[in-house]
Amino acid sequence: MVMSDKISDIERKVLAVIQGGMPVSMTPYKDMAESAGLDTAELIEVLRGWQENGKIRRIGAIVNHFKVGLGAGAMVVWIVGEDKIEEVGQLLAGFDEVTHAYERPTSDEWPYSLYTMVHGESEEGVGQIVAKMSQACGVSDYRILKTEKELKKVPPTYICEEIEEHE
Amino acid sequence: MDQLDSKILNALQNDFPIQQKPYETIAKRLQISTDQLFDRVQKLVDNGTIRRIGASINSHKFDFKSTLATISVTPDKLQKAARTVEKFHEVTHSYQRNDKFNIWFTIIAPTEERIEQILKQISSELSLNQNQVLNLPMKRLFKLNAKFKVS
Repeated sequence: MVMSDKISDIERKVLAVIQGGMPVSMTPYKDMAESAGLDTAELIEVLRGWQENGKIRRIGAIVNHFKVGLGAGAMVVWIVGEDKIEEVGQLLAGFDEVTHAYERPTSDEWPYSLYTMVHGESEEGVGQIVAKMSQACGVSDYRILKTEKELKKVPPTYICEEIEEHE
Repeated sequence: MDQLDSKILNALQNDFPIQQKPYETIAKRLQISTDQLFDRVQKLVDNGTIRRIGASINSHKFDFKSTLATISVTPDKLQKAARTVEKFHEVTHSYQRNDKFNIWFTIIAPTEERIEQILKQISSELSLNQNQVLNLPMKRLFKLNAKFKVS
């Protein structure tokens, strides 16, 4: 598959080996380097470089929030005018319970411009947080889209050969 | 889950060291032995509390395109719709939500054309008309912090 030519062969190998998650091992980088055919030092250098230039947002555990008492989640969408969106977006992003906040395009059938993911211990708890958020930003045109079921959650695939090899 | 598990989960979500023996460093920070830490981590992975330990890649910096999309289907079509959406490896997250637009999913793909193509295919397989599908690519990012404070 065509992954941009801008990345080196070594970077390709690192991306391929890390995209699905790291091995749970005392020496995860050494294990990944071995399976990618690289030196551990080489792989570590690439990853540190990516962390510095923002190609990697963070390395760490991805926690299943359903299992740590934060089982109630909702996507809350808000109708906010263009002139207010920066202010309201920053304000709502400041809530600890909000993990994601984005502006997205609107349309006639869906006029919501601001999207926030809100997590809480219970549905009522989420409702209370959203009420607080609404009060704080002065926007009362919003919709709470409760997460009813997680249908799929997988890490993205950047290098496709990986998939073929694993199939 | 006890207090030590919570401490470990909070520590592991931040700054997982990029070095030969990362667990040694984390164990020192937490003032426990490396073996005790690693034993707990393995249990948390086995019981699904930790989905995985890995790198969150900024896909845009690798020239990938992403979007949030949603479709509106009737309740009798939900299962089929979920399967249709899920089968694309470019679809990384998919959720059923309680609204007129009831399946919401993210797509990460090398080009915008590929994203369009996936949405077209989903529409045609589920016989959806134009106003039952929304493609909502991000215009502005205010926050992305999928870390959960465990107490």
